[in-house]
This record gives sequence, C-alpha cells and structure tokens, in this order.
Amino acid sequence: MIYLDSAATSLLKPPEVRRAVSEAMRSMASPGRGSYPPAMRAAETVYDCRAAAAELFHVPEPEQVVFTMNATHALNIAIQSLAGPGTKTVISGFEHNSVTRPLTALGARVRVAGTRLFDREAVLRDFEEQLPGAELAVCTHVSNVFGFILPVYEIAALCRKYGVPLIVDASQSAGILEVDLQRLGAAFVAMPGHKGLFGPQGTGILLCGQAGKPLLHGGSGSDSIPQHMPDYLPDRLEAGTQNVCGIAGLLAGLRYVQRKGTSAILRQERELLRLTRQELEGSGLELFAGPEDCQCGVLSLRCPRTDCETAAARLAERGVCVRSGMHCAPTAHRSAGTLETGTVRLSFSPFLSAGQVKRACGVLRSLD
Amino acid sequence: MNQYLIMCRSLTYAQRSARLLERSGITATVVKAPQGLSTSGCGYAVALRKRFDEAVSLLKKNNLLDGRLFGRGEDGEYREVRR
Repeated sequence: MIYLDSAATSLLKPPEVRRAVSEAMRSMASPGRGSYPPAMRAAETVYDCRAAAAELFHVPEPEQVVFTMNATHALNIAIQSLAGPGTKTVISGFEHNSVTRPLTALGARVRVAGTRLFDREAVLRDFEEQLPGAELAVCTHVSNVFGFILPVYEIAALCRKYGVPLIVDASQSAGILEVDLQRLGAAFVAMPGHKGLFGPQGTGILLCGQAGKPLLHGGSGSDSIPQHMPDYLPDRLEAGTQNVCGIAGLLAGLRYVQRKGTSAILRQERELLRLTRQELEGSGLELFAGPEDCQCGVLSLRCPRTDCETAAARLAERGVCVRSGMHCAPTAHRSAGTLETGTVRLSFSPFLSAGQVKRACGVLRSLD
Repeated sequence: MNQYLIMCRSLTYAQRSARLLERSGITATVVKAPQGLSTSGCGYAVALRKRFDEAVSLLKKNNLLDGRLFGRGEDGEYREVRR
C-alpha cells in the first residue's frame, strides 16, 4: 500500500505515538477528577502536551492551548466566539466547510477575498480591499485541496491594521510550516492533532489569543458550584472528559515534530512533490502546481478522460490511497474552476519514500 | 506549620505553579484542595513543606498567585495565612 492521503489523516505515524496511546489506555484515568496516581499521571501528560504545543506554536502560556476533538471543533469554538447573525466576515477563497458552514449557520455576512490559485499578491490585494469595515476574518494557512500556502502573516498584519480579529485554520500547516500565534497576533488558531502533528484521530488544538465562548458546557473539574463555565482558560473551553489517550499520542507526535523540525519535514514533502511533478510531466494529467514557495506537500490533479472518483477507485485497486472529489472545500474548487469535476488529491508525508512515490506515479500514468 | 497550601484557580495553573517552583528547587506537589478551603467547589492547590515565603514571592513575580494561602498546624487544621 502507498498512502498518499496524509492531508486527511497521517496514517503513517512515528511508532512512539502508538506506544503512548497504548500506555495511556493502560495507566491513565481522567485529569482533574482526583489526586490518585492514575489521575495525576493523566494530568501530567495533558499538561506536558499543552506545554509542548505552546512551545512549538509560540503561545505565551500553556493554558492558552485548548484541546478539542479535531480542527472542525476548534474552528466552531473560535467562529461562534466572534461571529453572529450579520457579522461582516472576510474569508479566503480556499476555505474548508469547517469554516464556511459554521459561518452560514450563524448567519454571518460572508465576503470572499482572494480566489486566484497560487497568486499570493492577488490574495493580499483582495484582503486589503475587503478588510476595512469587516468585523472578522478567517483564513486558512494552506489550502487542503491544492496545497497553496496563503500569505497568512501578511493578512494578519492587514487585520491588525484594520482592527479586524483573525482566525487562522492551520489544519494543513501545523507541523509543516511555522505557525506562530504571537507573530500572527490572531484571536484563534485552530488545528487538528491527527495530520501534521501525527496524533491519533479525535485530537485537535485551539490556540487562544483571547478567552472565547464555550461551545460545550459541563464539568471542568474546577469551580464546580457556579452554574456557568469558568472564565479562565483552558477550563472555560474544555467541558467533559478529556481524550487522554489521544492527547498522550499527540504529545508523542508533537515531540517527534520538535525533534525533526518543521523545516526538515517541509523540505522532505517538497522533494516528494517535485519528484511527482517530474514523474507525471508529459503524462497528459492536469496538475495543479504552483511556484515551489507557494505550495507544500499537497497536489491536486485531473485525468482528461477519467472522472476523479473512478480514478481514485482504480488507484485504490492497485494499492495507491488518494482522496478524490470536493475534499469538503467547494469554496476552494469554485476559486480554482474545478467545482464541476472535483480533483484527485495526493498528499505526502515524511514517512513516504521516493520509490513509493515513483511507483504511485507509474500507476497514475497508466490510468487514462 | 507542617504544610502549606497555595490555592490555584485550576489544575492547569496548579501544574504551572508547581513546575515553576520545582525549577527553582522548591519541592511542590499538586493536590486536590481539601473540602471547605475552596469557596466555589472543586479546586486544586500546590502543597509544600518548606520555603513558603520564597514560593509565594516567586509565584507573585510570575503572576501566578491568585488564590488563598493556608497553613496546617500541629492539630491538623488549616488556617488562612495572610500575604
């Protein structure tokens, strides 16, 4: 099997992640529910994970790191904290449904800025035009469909200039690109634990530049008598029992990323992307590839005579795992002109070899 | 006093406080606060036996001191210690 769907979930993970999950399941109870050793062991692990994430993402204090079920959960907390009916919101043309659906459900007034694929200057110009008078901006760091790296630090500077709070979706960049809460000055940064951070599914992180409104209300293990959620982080946004086993695995994944370094991971993914482009050159496949500094390890393509779902199914029959269709991001497909067809998406990982990528390209070349 | 408790607003703050103290060589443990010491239900505290004044000063300097302070006497009772 050749796994080329790490943008959905990193199936290929450092072995210590699996060991950490298993050890947590054997030895840890719930943090904040007692002072006996299995509860305190869980509490220590959860705190270590907060501290590791705070260090990696330049968050001033560990309590500003909130654990969630996934990036969608984190984005929902962030968006409902800052948006409501009629909120004038600017989003990029490459957002996922986890951004656009909560905004729609809340009745926000959404305007799209920056729809030109791999054109960072045009995205910036559009944001500069749309931000005055806006009340909220939401921007993905990297398109989950095309791997397009948006100029999120420059957009953050524009948001500060116009006094617009910013939410960053770091779903495809956390663990691969520099994600720096302080440099962004963002209200919130949301990310999954199970992609570039190599944690298990069911883990996500919300980095909080401000307190936020609870999405879930319930037990926090603290201040139990008042019937409202505590006003301090992380307790305010973390109701209910924590996914301790998942967080233990996420901690192992974060430590792997810290040891290896995001720049080394990015370099490796870009080498595989470059190799794929070389291998598929002249194949007749339509590749959505941009300048190297605008794209990380995600590549969309279309086959001239085979629809994307059929292509993905035929690849699967031959052991190549890819994602096809809309990738839950119709906004991005509308921007790139692929809404009618969808695309086949290949996404890379540091656990893939050049040989595997060459074999997958061989199967792709034989599709049409 | 044979033990001091520094009340913390949450488990996370208690952990952060205890680690700060440990890094400064002050032995500190995170414990659940005894019933009655917290006015709003379940709470956590940092427990220590020695270098209480130094610990309080260090936590204050790092903006981590926001709860009440207690000392346990020979009779086993906790009494509030004024800052």
